[in-house]
Amino acid sequence: MNDTNPIVQIHGLSKWFGGTDALRDVNLDIHSGSIIGLLGANGAGKSTLLRHIIGLYLPNKGTCVTFGCEAGKLGPAQLGRIGYVHQEGELLEWMKVGQLIRYVSTYYPNWNHQLEEKYVADYEISMEARVGSLSPGQRQRLAILLAIGFEPELLILDEPASTLDPVARGQFLDLLLQIIQNENRTIIISSHILSDVEKIIDHVVIMEAGRILRDCSFDELKEEFHCVRLSTLSGDLPVNLPFENVIQQQRSNGQAVITVRNTTPEQIEQTAEDLNCQVEIQTLPLEEIYKIIVS
Amino acid sequence: MLLEIDHHGGVPIYRQVIEQVRRQIMAGQLGEGQQLNSVRELAGRLRVNPMTISKAYALLEIEGLVERRRGVGLFVARVRESHKEQTKARLLEQILKKAAMMAVQFEIPEEEAARMLVDLYRKHDARTRSHSNE
Repeated sequence: MNDTNPIVQIHGLSKWFGGTDALRDVNLDIHSGSIIGLLGANGAGKSTLLRHIIGLYLPNKGTCVTFGCEAGKLGPAQLGRIGYVHQEGELLEWMKVGQLIRYVSTYYPNWNHQLEEKYVADYEISMEARVGSLSPGQRQRLAILLAIGFEPELLILDEPASTLDPVARGQFLDLLLQIIQNENRTIIISSHILSDVEKIIDHVVIMEAGRILRDCSFDELKEEFHCVRLSTLSGDLPVNLPFENVIQQQRSNGQAVITVRNTTPEQIEQTAEDLNCQVEIQTLPLEEIYKIIVS
Repeated sequence: MLLEIDHHGGVPIYRQVIEQVRRQIMAGQLGEGQQLNSVRELAGRLRVNPMTISKAYALLEIEGLVERRRGVGLFVARVRESHKEQTKARLLEQILKKAAMMAVQFEIPEEEAARMLVDLYRKHDARTRSHSNE
């Protein structure tokens, strides 16, 4: 579905800090209109990679090109198309919320005041409150408003929900689901809370120790693994089940639960048919898939 | 179009959409020529990524169940009767297969299982008829 030029092109990118390798020969294209989940443990290199995209870091080797412009040469023309929300989220603590919104909005000629009003009303943002007195959830919402108020084409969310409690995380996901209804917007969301991002992403990039382990469509990844429950109609299952690429297996009496890789539901059904077994086939939660891939 | 998505069901969302739309077309709940919700509308309502709906719609189009009218949207296509019958039989077989296997597993005699199916069929068929007569 993506036949356009990528909006971000990362080629052979390596980055080190002193003797520590942060990114090793990373290659990645980001296409317009996709919602990318950037997954990895803390320290895998997610934030470092994202900072290259907006030119906060420059590559030691290789290139990172955003909206056709190299990381080191990014200017207002490109940065004005990117919204960025990061972990620490420094805001001007002494301002009132309303003042901060006005202050930031003046930098953007295309600031969408209607969107701002709707957002402020929907999320009950108090314009009179001091920024420094906000709860983590309120802060997060404010940071997101500041990042989407100018309707950026690319929205980068670096661990946006990590400081939020489960209720606030739920609200945040709802908000993201609204934002992604605009099909031309590209979102990169990095997270280690996988159940959060699973509902909204359509593309997955998995990082580990500065490298990209997987870069593929989310459906493709989901359908690579299946959990298969078998139950015989009578008697026991054969000792060796004729499935290929078995990752995990548990069994008792006439039942077995196995995890298989690269086997289609049709193939699984056929095998179950040959075994004369009842079969239930499910995909795995992203969290399980992630564990298999990084192990 | 009434669709329900199970986010924890272990079936990819685009597949859930395809299965439900296909079934509604076979059941006549979505009639020939009827317009499908737009990608945006449906994605917004189901709270899913619009790409997921686009993908489901594209696959339904390939299957020939829906057709795109340029600049207007997607509509339920005219489907050949033979194709419809095949699809209906395939969907029914999937369900019956589960029932048959359970009957074998529970050692319910063949005649009894068959009789249960016939009884259930008659019960529901009668019910539908009495409704439509009202």
